[in-house]
Amino acid sequence: MLQTVAPLLMDALANAALIFFVAFGLTLTFSVLRILNVAHGSFYSIGAYVAASAGLFIVGAGLNPWLTYPSLILSAAAVAALFGPLVEKTLVRWTYGRGEAVQILMTFGLFLILEDLQRMVFGVNSLYEDTPMALLGITEIGGVVYLNYQILLIALAALTLVGLRIFIRHTRTGRLLHVVVADREVSEAMGIDTGRMFTLAFTLGVFLAALGGALATPTTGVAPGLGAETMVLAFAVAAIGGLGQVEGAALAAVIVAAARVLAIYFAPELDAVAPYLVMLVVLLVRPYGLFGKAAVRRI
Amino acid sequence: MLKVENLDVEIAGVDVLRRVSFTLTAGAVTVLVGRNGAGKTTTLRAIMGLLPWKGGRVEVDGTELGGLPGNARAGIGLGYAPEDRRLIPDLSVEENILVPGLARKMPAPELKQRLDEVYDLLPQLGTLRARPAGGVSGGQGKIVALGRALMIADKVLMLDEPFQGLAPALALDYARTLQRCHEQKRDIAILVTESTPKLLDAIASDTLLLERGEIVRAEP
Repeated sequence: MLQTVAPLLMDALANAALIFFVAFGLTLTFSVLRILNVAHGSFYSIGAYVAASAGLFIVGAGLNPWLTYPSLILSAAAVAALFGPLVEKTLVRWTYGRGEAVQILMTFGLFLILEDLQRMVFGVNSLYEDTPMALLGITEIGGVVYLNYQILLIALAALTLVGLRIFIRHTRTGRLLHVVVADREVSEAMGIDTGRMFTLAFTLGVFLAALGGALATPTTGVAPGLGAETMVLAFAVAAIGGLGQVEGAALAAVIVAAARVLAIYFAPELDAVAPYLVMLVVLLVRPYGLFGKAAVRRI
Repeated sequence: MLKVENLDVEIAGVDVLRRVSFTLTAGAVTVLVGRNGAGKTTTLRAIMGLLPWKGGRVEVDGTELGGLPGNARAGIGLGYAPEDRRLIPDLSVEENILVPGLARKMPAPELKQRLDEVYDLLPQLGTLRARPAGGVSGGQGKIVALGRALMIADKVLMLDEPFQGLAPALALDYARTLQRCHEQKRDIAILVTESTPKLLDAIASDTLLLERGEIVRAEP
């Protein structure tokens, strides 16, 4: 029994960890900027491409293979630094106050551009670079083999969850971000530079998406189409958890990942629809998601 | 202290304020009186930069506000308590009052000193400080919003319809509190909007009557 369930659970949690990064990025952007960023998944795949390329370079140049670890994080940071402020200050800022249809069209357009840009820069072949995973090896407990890299992913996601909570509750910037989410106009009147907060939140959202993508490369690699696939999954997770909810996104990520893993093991033909079946059921019972509230939006 | 000259504001193509001009002086309480829809709230929101102006100018101690973003007002020393309180419900009363101080990056000792000053002026807040702002009554919420505005009101304190919806006893309490602020903070100008100015008779230095977006009478 344990031999079947344990690896299943590990797969589900590791998968959940990756989805959590990207879904929380989406939900954060939505709470602060009130914009549903359809191009969010592209930042995941760009993060993955950059990290895989950097990893291939490090290994190809014969550098210390442990450098692939900082390179995963730095890749995500580079993507965030390049795209976050630029996209928010130009394209996204232009859509404020123009209605949801314009925002969706703009971010969808951005998604298409970014998809083609990735094909131009990284080509159409898949990239695979698993040095970080290989370096950590495996652990065997009771005859079951676990990938240490998966354990690391789960720990990182848990740390991020706690870290974000502390950031929002106990730092000056986090507190001001919370106030901006609750009431934009009052924020302005109380002297908060809401424009700066929007740039900050958007960039943090891009970073989390790119980090999810970068951390996924050692186990799954990266191929064209990854952005779209991730985007839909992140939407499902954010909707199930309740848009704008940190804990909601974490729990929803676990539920969706568990549904997918169960489907892969027991009914592979249902793999693709499993997350949406879960979403359907949850939204039928709780239309604002597990942790969502009808009127109040928060981080 | 604060000077408004020929302020014109248009909302959705309709002129809401027409050539509004007045001056606030330090140590004085100015009451802006008018019926619902006369443009009282719009006047305050326009000064705070929450609405675009069609024309006119506003200056505070010689600093022209026109070109500045809305969030620069707090730094200049304009404290504002909106009509509907607008507290952050899941932060505590004290956390709400601290928000403008945090936004201005006040060092901890200054934050503490200003907070103590607010508690001195508004002793009603003492027992409420740890309570979530979403859980205080409407009247208490008005005092919290006043405290939050006082945190940064170094030059001008603007209160939008503070008496609206208050039971008579609470309104009287609020009026006394306001009088205390007026007496102890002689270096700031106070602007209060009101549809029934009776409660403010005792402390009002100037009364401005606003009708359909125009100041029709100004009485010292």
